[in-house]
Amino acid sequence: MVGFVDLYTEGDTFLHRMDPRVKITSVILLSILAFVLSSLEALGLLLLLIMALVVLSRTPISKTAFAFKFVFRLMVLIVILWPLFDRSGEPVIASLGPLRLTEPALLRGLTSATRIGCLATVWYILMFTTQQRDIVRALVKMGVRFDFGLTLAISLRFFPTFGATIGSIMDAQRARGLEFGRGGLLKRTRNYVAVLVPAIVSAMRTADGLSWALQSRAYGARPDRTYLRDFRMRWSDYASLMAVVLILALPLTAKLALGMDL
Amino acid sequence: MIPAPSSVQGSDKIVSITDLRFTYEGGVEAVKDLTLDIRKGDYIAVVGGNGSGKTTLAKNINGLLRPSRGTIMIRGHDASKMAVPEIAKVVGYAFQNPDYQLFCPTVEEEVRFGPSNLGYSHEDVNVKVQRALDAMNLQHLRTKPPLSLRLGERRRVTLASVIAMDPEVFIFDEPTTGLDTEESEMLMQKLRNLNAEGKTIILITHDMRLVSEHAKRVVVMSQGRVILDSDPRGAFADLDILRKSNLEPPAVTKLAHALKAYGVPVDIISPEELVFHLLRGSEG
Repeated sequence: MVGFVDLYTEGDTFLHRMDPRVKITSVILLSILAFVLSSLEALGLLLLLIMALVVLSRTPISKTAFAFKFVFRLMVLIVILWPLFDRSGEPVIASLGPLRLTEPALLRGLTSATRIGCLATVWYILMFTTQQRDIVRALVKMGVRFDFGLTLAISLRFFPTFGATIGSIMDAQRARGLEFGRGGLLKRTRNYVAVLVPAIVSAMRTADGLSWALQSRAYGARPDRTYLRDFRMRWSDYASLMAVVLILALPLTAKLALGMDL
Repeated sequence: MIPAPSSVQGSDKIVSITDLRFTYEGGVEAVKDLTLDIRKGDYIAVVGGNGSGKTTLAKNINGLLRPSRGTIMIRGHDASKMAVPEIAKVVGYAFQNPDYQLFCPTVEEEVRFGPSNLGYSHEDVNVKVQRALDAMNLQHLRTKPPLSLRLGERRRVTLASVIAMDPEVFIFDEPTTGLDTEESEMLMQKLRNLNAEGKTIILITHDMRLVSEHAKRVVVMSQGRVILDSDPRGAFADLDILRKSNLEPPAVTKLAHALKAYGVPVDIISPEELVFHLLRGSEG
């Protein structure tokens, strides 16, 4: 549960040292690139680049395997489902009754799956190598309002706590003889009410207490804030940003100005 | 380990734990080689510092956690082959935080939830619910929404909801946390009544005064092991054991220890006993 929310692993690679603002910008730029590219080859190359960066982040695969499994399943699902809705084009590879598997549809399925793969995994690079509080602080530095940033930080911070609370609630109800995953639809729905109501009540009590605690520590007393550690762009950060801008700009120019099929 | 005196209770074993070991995902060994028998009519206080394994032990007994090694027999049946609701018919577990379980619109429905899950007949459920509401003094709050009640009352609702399931053994996890003295005394009196009716009570607590006043048997845990299993008198006489498990005996016992040089016995557990010994000393 905890691992699902916080993918960060301590490390000292160039990705860990990179200014979080550069990382966030780069990830956004690479996401845009994934939308711009439309050929399977180019998207495949982008996915390879992203995977290379994931490897360079030296994040233990044991900790992140589930995240990749999730993306991989999604990709497989897209490849399987695409031809069901897209039966256009020639040549037909196989057909069964009303179902037709055509080569262009298969190609489009693969392309979309690869694009989704890129879009999902590129964010992993940020999440694997950046502490959540640094992500939030970088967003605030980049112009997001501080209270939005704080709200985001608190939600992230309380995710594992909330997960543990739900675990305890399920335990408490199981001790009262409740069996999850059994019975008809009505019974199952009712079972979840037994978890949802205490979960919401606990969350609201926590939120209430937290807001009092924040106020008692003078939250909002001054609009401007100071920070213990500040971000400083180094030459390597500028270089990384330049590299990513080029990675986006080159294919973009080739595609739009030169009309290349990327 | 000091064995429990045979005089504690009869020999009617309800729960029998042998060489229990429990390791959490991530490698924390919370309970190690623990052997314990729980007999009918016992009133056991399980005490120990935070992280000593008390709650892990309790969750193993009622099946919410399953032993990594060792066996738990419940009424002669292997608990590993029993589903949680099946175990819940014998061992009831009242969680510390009432907000983790209350969800019904009225107190009565809340109390009804447990026994209904266990498949008792409608009439049986009615009888059990009324008995539980009586036992916890909740009849006047029957139609109130449980979440609107005070903490002490919410706690009583959670206990009633376990009592209504009519188990033989009750596990109460820190039932008096957050209650004032009066609420706490009242609650403990209710538990005593249950015990007097022949129910077995396992009380998980930090509060040594509760232990000295209510428990018949004290199981002291430290680092996942039982380091002492005795009556309260014996447990409080051994300051070293208590210190080892981050516990402090009740003030009156500490006073008795301090007065040891004046001939006061160290196994005193109530103010009345201390007064008795002091008066006898001054007469003699």
